[in-house]
Amino acid sequence: MTARLPDPPRAPPLAGSGPGAPYLNPYLAGIGLGLVLLAAFVLVGRGLGASGAFSSTLSWFVNLVAPAHAQANLYMQDYLGDGTTHPLKAWLVFEVVGVAAGALFSGLLAGRARFTVEKGPRVSTAIRLLCAFAGGMLMAFGAHLARGCTSGQALTGGALLNVGSWAFMLMVFVGGYSVAWFMRWQWR
Amino acid sequence: MRLPQLTLNQKLGVAALVLGALALFSQPHRGPFVKLDARELALVVEQEVDHVTPTELAAWIVEGRADYRLIDLRTADEFESYHIPTAENAQLPALNDYPIQRNQKIVLYSEGGIHSAQAWLLLRAQGYEGVYTVLGGLDGWKDEVLFPTLPAETGPKERARFERAAVVARFFGGEARTDGAPAASAPAVALPKLVSPAGPAQPVAPGAPRKKKKEGC
Amino acid sequence: MMTPLYKYGFFGEEFSLLVAFVLGLGFGFFLERAGFGSARKLAAQFYLYDMSVFKVMFTAIVTAMLGVTYLGWLGWLDLDLVYLVPTHLGPQVVGGLVLGVGFVVGGYCPGTSVAALATGRFDAVLYALGIFAGTFAYAQVYPAIQGFVNANPMGQVTLPEVFELSWGLVVFVVVIIAVLGFWGATLVERRFRSEP
Repeated sequence: MTARLPDPPRAPPLAGSGPGAPYLNPYLAGIGLGLVLLAAFVLVGRGLGASGAFSSTLSWFVNLVAPAHAQANLYMQDYLGDGTTHPLKAWLVFEVVGVAAGALFSGLLAGRARFTVEKGPRVSTAIRLLCAFAGGMLMAFGAHLARGCTSGQALTGGALLNVGSWAFMLMVFVGGYSVAWFMRWQWR
Repeated sequence: MRLPQLTLNQKLGVAALVLGALALFSQPHRGPFVKLDARELALVVEQEVDHVTPTELAAWIVEGRADYRLIDLRTADEFESYHIPTAENAQLPALNDYPIQRNQKIVLYSEGGIHSAQAWLLLRAQGYEGVYTVLGGLDGWKDEVLFPTLPAETGPKERARFERAAVVARFFGGEARTDGAPAASAPAVALPKLVSPAGPAQPVAPGAPRKKKKEGC
Repeated sequence: MMTPLYKYGFFGEEFSLLVAFVLGLGFGFFLERAGFGSARKLAAQFYLYDMSVFKVMFTAIVTAMLGVTYLGWLGWLDLDLVYLVPTHLGPQVVGGLVLGVGFVVGGYCPGTSVAALATGRFDAVLYALGIFAGTFAYAQVYPAIQGFVNANPMGQVTLPEVFELSWGLVVFVVVIIAVLGFWGATLVERRFRSEP
């Protein structure tokens, strides 16, 4: 045992604490999410996702400021297409805009929407923001390598018993738990 | 006997286990057993919406349409020696696992039409709605498209139609015949060079600007 | 068996974009309901005192999985027409590891970062900017790592196919694992919360 244990967190993320209404029972939230996913399968024949929307948006933006570079880039070509449709007119882009709107609605309803920076008690805001940016960069690499993120691969592929998705999901937990100890100063 | 009081979470857990256990018997993908609506199928056959004529198919190929899958049900050797352009080869037993989807238009043909009719019934029974046979099969294709004959009554309309058929025949490497000999005696035809893509139509060559990535995350 | 509706031509692409938005509304709503608009709650999963990520994710998976199983069984959903992301084991395993690290470092995943920035979390905005930067970097190196990215192609395969088991059996096993997992997660939470 270490000599000095960190104080157990009393404020969020424990359910029910902090300003705003208590969080929904995770199982009920999961059922809600699952039903939305099922609706996607039945209505459109595909699941949910998020990382693709970032790729589309980035490709569109780069095409705006440096079209030659964007159109020559092998990866961005897939998201720009042959010019017949606007790159932002993509299913995932519309879905992600919906995610923002839905989350805002829920947050406002529960009184949990506020301008803040989520961080542990021992880390400075500046460092936290730096880590957030770095985490996002890592996440982008991981998601594009795996052809999806937790929404697209883990949730969607998991429900459809997709082999790659289950392998991916397992490794996400392995990766996360492996570095958690080394990042604990950020969260506790 | 009083049942114990369960919390919400425990109730959810029990519900999950029950549904999971029941799912042991499920078969969400189609199995080999099918349900047939005999009356509906008989109606489709009577209304003649179950087939396309060789001339219609020829027009689709010439137009370069890519919205259908053409399936040749003969053996691989027969397919090698000649097949209708844009056709794929799959024998009847393999059709079950063949990558065709229920929302596609599927056109079947065999030598004369019997196997394609049987395949039509099997596919319809499995929920494929857009299935059609080529009327007359490959024999019909040879008769109508490859080696069209000048009809007996030669009015101006018939002659115009014959001219068009002759052009189409040349496109497919055949030859219009004016001697009235039946197509069955015509020699086997070598696969003609095609203007439209052979095999299932691919929209663009790789490297050219492709359509945007639609699915995936 | 006329679903998925879009694939049977019930509506066109424009309408499907509207459907995307509405589905996103539901997605974002439940993400925030669960508390996933907060990096602290998300990261807590990896410190074992709040296993909500595991609970929500697997409940969602089990719900949708049972849903497609029963709808397919009833003949109300054509499962063959639901898109399956092709499996490429190598890059997906590596991608998962990297994503897991990114999760703990950044505190979000792409979907939850959107939910969080919509509710005012400035760190989520930085995170999203990071995703853009990372995507750009990925696009630059993509031609060089293409070989690896497309390695181990297995096509669109499901667990029942690969292990040669019936679909129903795999579903049952997943449900058992999930329910046991939830019970275990609750025990783990209690243990790590009461630690002095």
